[in-house]
Amino acid sequence: MNHRPFEDWMLEDQGLTPEQKRDLQSHLRTCGQCAALAEVSLALGSSRTAAPTPGFADRFRVRLAAQRQAQRKRNFWGFLILAISVTTILSWLAWPILRVMLDSPVNALSTWLSYLLSLWFWLQALGQAGSVLLRVIPTFVPPYFWPLATFALAGWSLLWVLSIWKLAKIPQGV
Amino acid sequence: MNDELTWIVQAQNGSDEAFTYLVEAYQTPVYNLCYRMLGEPEAAEDAAQETFLKVYQNLARYDRERSFATWLLSIAAHYCIDRLRRRRFVSFSIDEDEETPVELPDRSAPDPEAETMRRQEQAHLHQLLQSLDPTDRAALVLRYWNGCSEIEIAQALTLTVPAVKNRLHRARRALAKVWEKEAPRARTERRPHESPAF
Repeated sequence: MNHRPFEDWMLEDQGLTPEQKRDLQSHLRTCGQCAALAEVSLALGSSRTAAPTPGFADRFRVRLAAQRQAQRKRNFWGFLILAISVTTILSWLAWPILRVMLDSPVNALSTWLSYLLSLWFWLQALGQAGSVLLRVIPTFVPPYFWPLATFALAGWSLLWVLSIWKLAKIPQGV
Repeated sequence: MNDELTWIVQAQNGSDEAFTYLVEAYQTPVYNLCYRMLGEPEAAEDAAQETFLKVYQNLARYDRERSFATWLLSIAAHYCIDRLRRRRFVSFSIDEDEETPVELPDRSAPDPEAETMRRQEQAHLHQLLQSLDPTDRAALVLRYWNGCSEIEIAQALTLTVPAVKNRLHRARRALAKVWEKEAPRARTERRPHESPAF
């Protein structure tokens, strides 16, 4: 059986002229498929809203509180596990030093002192070399080098800032 | 600024009281959508509560230019669709003895007999809804129970308007097919062409 245009009329929910209504009614008397579609349309049109049992908002408040409590617990356990893991790893890494320290504390202390002294002397030597270079370099470098170097450094910084800004531009919204 | 927007802004600033107002205002449409989608009152209650939790957690991301109702129903619909997909292979039945939700009464009901018949018809329709594809079902519920326009459904289900139209037509055809098979007796009792609607 040809269901056009009756099926389209019902599916589009469009207003019908009296003549179209008459045609549709006579078609519905003979076509079970379209009659079922009409019944479904009627049932959907008169559909009722189901409401939750009273106290929904109170139950939500209880659930929200429970969820917050669970979140706090998760955070606490997460922090505890992280702290234990970090302590374990650091202890494992520091164990050779700790062992030496525990075996002969005087030896370990003298070794560390010698390390500190050598570091101190090394830094002093580096400072002296730096001051010599600062005195010598200006005699070799032409005077226009400094503005050029400043300009290049500023340009490079600007390029860096712009690229970071462009990368950080993420679309917003849900 | 209207009341709803005031509540939303206050809730975004951390007011639980304002969020409770929103829950009270939208509990029925959200619950109804979940109930029509999942078919069971307990699952619907759980899904509706989960929807409001998700909304609470993501409230900072809500764009105030959009309709709050559409955003809320979108979250509920997607949650139910996901849940239905997860339990696709787990069969369930609508148990008559289960605690049924409160159906809002029709004040214009002319007589008890017609009211009873309409209730049966609604129960039958509710049962048939469960045979539809989850997204088609969501589109149909949003259209006929929540009164959303095709544009709003498209926004809520992340579809195009022609796709929504297509899904609504397909869903209604599918329902009619099952309706014709399962209720030949009921049709003889009340012919649709006798209704003033046609």
